[in-house]
Amino acid sequence: MASSKIQLDTEKTLPQTMEDTADVSDCESSSSFLSECSSDLEPEWLDDIQQNGELFYLELSEGEEEAALAQANAVATNHVRFSETEAEINSEKNKKHQCSSRTKKEPTLKKLARMLRRKQRTSQRREGKENPTLSHPPSILKNQPSQRQGVTVQQQHRKDVCVYLNPKRLGSSPLKSEKGGLLEALLGVIHHPSWGSGQMCTAVEGKEERLMVHGLIPNSPAIKCSRILIGDVLVAVDDIDVTTENIERVLSCIPGPTQVRLTLESVVDGNSLSDASLRKAKASPPVSQLVRLLWGGDTAELQMSIGHVPHVAMYLSLKLDSVSSKEEEEIWYQYPVSDASVQLKGVRGIFLTLCDMLENVTGGQIISSSLLLGKHLVHVGYRKENSNLLVIGLPAERVPLLYLQTVVGDLVRTLKVMYGSLDGAFCNEEHAPKLDHFFCLFFQQLIQPSRLRDGSSAPHPGASGALFLDGLPAVQWLPLPPEIKVQSKICVDTVLSDFESSDFGEMSEDFFGLRRMYVILGSCLFYRSYLIANHLPKEDLLDVCLYCQHYCLLPLAAEQRVGQLVIWREVFPQHRVSKDASTAPGYRQPPGRHFLLIVGLRHFMQCVLLEAGGCASPAPASAGPDCIYIDQAKATLLQLEALESGIEERLNAPPAPCLSCADWFLPSAATRDSLASSSPVFSKLTGAVKGASDSRGRGLFGDRSRRFSPQRGLSDSGSEGQGDAGLGSTPESPRKPGGRRNSLGSDGGGGLFKIPRMKHPNPFYLGTLRKTLTERETEEMYNTNKLTSGAENTLFHYVLMETVQGIFITPTHREVAQLSGSIHPQLIHNFHHCCLSIRAAFQQSLPGRRAADRPRAGGWGLGPIKEHGVLFQCKPENWTDQRKPAPTMTYWVIGRMLLEPVPQEFYVCFHDSVAEVPVEMAFRLSFGLAL
Amino acid sequence: MAQDGTPQLICLTASSGVPLFTRGANRQLPFSVIGSLNGVHMFGGSQGVVVSSSSTEGGGKVVWRVFQDSVMLIAVCRGGHGGAGSSSRAEQVFLQRLLENVWNCMVLVLGQDELGNVRNVERLKKDLRSCFSLIDQLLEDGQEGVFGNLTHCADSLLPPDPGLLQEAVDGFAKSADSEFGCLIVRGRIAAATEKWWRLAPQEVVLLSALVRSLAGSGTSSCDYPVFLPRGSPNVAHRLLRFQLLPGADVCILCGPTPSLHRAETRLVVPFWAPLMETLRACLAVGQHCLPASVSPRPDVMAVLLINRETRRCVTCVQPNLQTSDPPLPSRQRCWELLKLFYSFSVTRYFPQEDTLCVVPEDKDPRSNAEDFVLSFSHNPLQCYLVTEECKSFGLQTPQHQLFLLTPLSVPTFALQTLASQTLSDIVSATGF
Repeated sequence: MASSKIQLDTEKTLPQTMEDTADVSDCESSSSFLSECSSDLEPEWLDDIQQNGELFYLELSEGEEEAALAQANAVATNHVRFSETEAEINSEKNKKHQCSSRTKKEPTLKKLARMLRRKQRTSQRREGKENPTLSHPPSILKNQPSQRQGVTVQQQHRKDVCVYLNPKRLGSSPLKSEKGGLLEALLGVIHHPSWGSGQMCTAVEGKEERLMVHGLIPNSPAIKCSRILIGDVLVAVDDIDVTTENIERVLSCIPGPTQVRLTLESVVDGNSLSDASLRKAKASPPVSQLVRLLWGGDTAELQMSIGHVPHVAMYLSLKLDSVSSKEEEEIWYQYPVSDASVQLKGVRGIFLTLCDMLENVTGGQIISSSLLLGKHLVHVGYRKENSNLLVIGLPAERVPLLYLQTVVGDLVRTLKVMYGSLDGAFCNEEHAPKLDHFFCLFFQQLIQPSRLRDGSSAPHPGASGALFLDGLPAVQWLPLPPEIKVQSKICVDTVLSDFESSDFGEMSEDFFGLRRMYVILGSCLFYRSYLIANHLPKEDLLDVCLYCQHYCLLPLAAEQRVGQLVIWREVFPQHRVSKDASTAPGYRQPPGRHFLLIVGLRHFMQCVLLEAGGCASPAPASAGPDCIYIDQAKATLLQLEALESGIEERLNAPPAPCLSCADWFLPSAATRDSLASSSPVFSKLTGAVKGASDSRGRGLFGDRSRRFSPQRGLSDSGSEGQGDAGLGSTPESPRKPGGRRNSLGSDGGGGLFKIPRMKHPNPFYLGTLRKTLTERETEEMYNTNKLTSGAENTLFHYVLMETVQGIFITPTHREVAQLSGSIHPQLIHNFHHCCLSIRAAFQQSLPGRRAADRPRAGGWGLGPIKEHGVLFQCKPENWTDQRKPAPTMTYWVIGRMLLEPVPQEFYVCFHDSVAEVPVEMAFRLSFGLAL
Repeated sequence: MAQDGTPQLICLTASSGVPLFTRGANRQLPFSVIGSLNGVHMFGGSQGVVVSSSSTEGGGKVVWRVFQDSVMLIAVCRGGHGGAGSSSRAEQVFLQRLLENVWNCMVLVLGQDELGNVRNVERLKKDLRSCFSLIDQLLEDGQEGVFGNLTHCADSLLPPDPGLLQEAVDGFAKSADSEFGCLIVRGRIAAATEKWWRLAPQEVVLLSALVRSLAGSGTSSCDYPVFLPRGSPNVAHRLLRFQLLPGADVCILCGPTPSLHRAETRLVVPFWAPLMETLRACLAVGQHCLPASVSPRPDVMAVLLINRETRRCVTCVQPNLQTSDPPLPSRQRCWELLKLFYSFSVTRYFPQEDTLCVVPEDKDPRSNAEDFVLSFSHNPLQCYLVTEECKSFGLQTPQHQLFLLTPLSVPTFALQTLASQTLSDIVSATGF
């Protein structure tokens, strides 16, 4: 039994095992053998389950990997002892247990959870090994001199240190210390009560004493943040002054995984030798506002910062009930209860009147109103359900009127997915706190998206970009070459299918002859916010995606931040719930309840839609998360982690189809000058590489048909720097003369400085191919990978949406980041802003598209719009040259709606120099794009 | 009777909510509805909230606006099939312009004083009846190829012989002791004195509309007191209009002298009799607006050219010569499409600049459209639309805006060239 062997290895030598975690068999069989280990460990998220069975558990991994590992080590040495024979015996016992009563299965599952978690940690550790820069615990010894000196050279100064603490870990930790209490166990700070005061062995009990750091526990949060030094004095935790007296109480008040701010008084010696090392040591960045918000932290501050922007969400009753004596009885729900909404709340009579009256006057339900509050223009969107009215007020500068309906439509759909109906959401008082949280997220995302994401490194697409991309009824899809998808004998789809088959071996209900608790309707897999596999019907996918978008789960997973994410809640998938759906006659959707399970581990996130009732057993009133399903999902994710390297490689590869940066088309005087004067070497290099790499440079693409590198010789020079010269370089072909090209040749070098870090696909596939491919063949490949026609690559950005599958593709964040440039981000912002307008035009003119959301009777005046383009002109900023007018660059933003062969929407942005036919571009781009 | 799809206009006193008049639409709104529409705005005002517009499914819209704190104008547009929802008259831009135009028109006829402080509501109601024909004309937006109401640029006609006509208008105005004179052919300005062009664009547009409506009354000459909404809102001038030929009118703005009779007998004949042939040639140009020497390429169905500096515009729809499949849109549809495309482009990409000449206190509460236009980080220059009926192309230069329609057979990538060629052809031939 190979798996057991591996486990035994784990016990002895952890690091070695790590190399094997990629092994499929290990993961696949994990469920069968993990059940045997004996421990009463509970999954961390167990405490977070709410009354109604909902669960939202989020745990960050950043900066706590080592801590986790420390515990894992301890666990492993203490508990995991088994051999093959024992295991068999145990499993026999367990089976009996399980057969006798289903409830007794719990402990086993907990064990499984723990084992899985341990595996997760070990794999994390592996990563740490491979990448030593990731975490480098500073040596304690190194810091000690500063302490000694600190005694003599007195220069007090205070510093704030953010530390991530997770009290949940304590439960499982055998280290739960008797002596040091929480201070040691949780924080990792050792404090000997007697030392500081200088009294040997005769510490006066109960006397308040300053909390001097006498030592740090290895792998603890305190040591890992590398800013807490021995000799520091802990003064406050989250601004609460602490002493030996109250520290335990303060720490015990930390309810769950969170970030706390420690204030330390440190003693710095005069010449501050340690300062340099301090500065180098990267302090863990404070947890972003978003995560705090998701943790359900205090929203008052966030809310205050947008207090001056009028916005409101209200659910009003159109029925008048004179009997009720409650105040403001017509308001079912309102958010926020602050100055921002006072005025809008004050005029709710207007909304009620208009909603009631306008239907008769203009012959249609009211959609929107524009109001002027002082200087703020506010757009108000309406949605009527039964005799109640949802009113959403948003500032016009954030949400243009053109797109208000989409925003409100998506919001309503999210609410319906979560609560079944608007009435269900708002008319139940129990939901109020959750709705507050919901709308807090909603308004924060719309009004100050940048603030929500501060402290995070992920590039933000900008307000318009977020508005546009989130508004698309689709999810961003990452096209992966087939060889990645089936890499290392793992096929993503097969793994997902295996999971969906609910064939969990002896963990499944089937095994015990029980009726299934849930039927897995399908699942989808995200990696770093990109969808990479989907087994859900489109409408379900969109429902799931709306939920994820609303809770910002996708950007969250894009960063290296999710240690563990478990979400469980009942959902109401829209097309399954609506009874009048246009299903085949005679067929009825089984009347069941649906549950959404989202499990995230690091960059992977799996969303599973489950059905209870129907052919599975009906669910209890408040069905909580089921451990088996969660653990199996985790196992699936662990199994898929082997794909990570392949996907990362794809993400780091140059964009395919290749993109150009707007700045390359604008000759920038400053760059050219500096290039000419300061770096003759580079210009020579460029020339040399151009000649050298011309023939072999293209071989690369032989293997990866959809991969391509940037243009214009930039890559030539970039790759030169990396030592794999010419691997990813585009043919900067001297055979293509022309004035423009020549003129650009010079600033091709200019881009050299901007893109020195350009990554190129690894050269493994290249060796043989580049010899076999002739010049002509490579030239053809070059052309197939370029989306635009003509000699140069003029493509700046694109978005292609497949309406049928509910996916869209667009350059990944990294591809955009690679292009850098100063004008390019502006261009992308402009592109997205323009797309808002284009898409609104498509929507307005096509009644059938979102029929459910807004039935439109009359056609729009211009008739159905097929294609719409806008030409923009941009100039470089800060043009200082007085003699010459600023150079300009013009580019098209074009949107095209395709109905044949499959409905698609295509948005593209390219330079004006070449006339393009968007249909062709869309076809080229979508060719081979399929789930 | 107003045709179906016309927006309905409601006018009330802002302070007391007394209805002054309602125009447009077949079906009168019940008073309760009018009262609620007004009440909603009034209540908002008391809470510091100004309601400016609402839209409903199917393209219905309601737009509110208060002028001078005394008069409230509300435009209501029905959506849905057969309603105004699908016509160019339901566009937000049109409705906003409409309210502005109606107010200016009321000032033109009654003067700002009388509207500003309403002392006797009953008298005001009676007085306002004299505006109805002009307001109806604005509401119906009926005359083909007249874009002034929408663009706030004077509809112009480029005569084959501009020099002669210009001379005649200048001389005629001078002899009548006036600096403001203009020749209107088929509702469009063929020639005008320099001072006439210096009037605010809205005034020029409105005076043209007034002359059109006066000409429609069938009299050969008239003397009409007008207040200029910008130039002299409180002091009336005399507008003298003389019909030279059916479809060709000359008018001057003047003070107490000369009398209508004197001008008609002593001035009109000597100045204009020699030019009858030129005027006939002008009339022959007709709705084409462009002299025969300039003809756009045959694959341009309709053109709207605006000079942004002089605030003039010319329009033309070419007759369909060839039959094609699918059939080309009718002439009427072309005008409609051109208006729709103009509204579309202006709301989204090319901001209208004439808000500059609006008196600050009357300034439209920042129309939401402009917000969208202004938040582009780069400058939009051109835009095009491909619909099922035709292709539309819009282009903006510092001096001009050009909008044109082409059949679907014209390849999209050729539109850009076609447009810039058309623009340079017209500009070089006529100096427009």
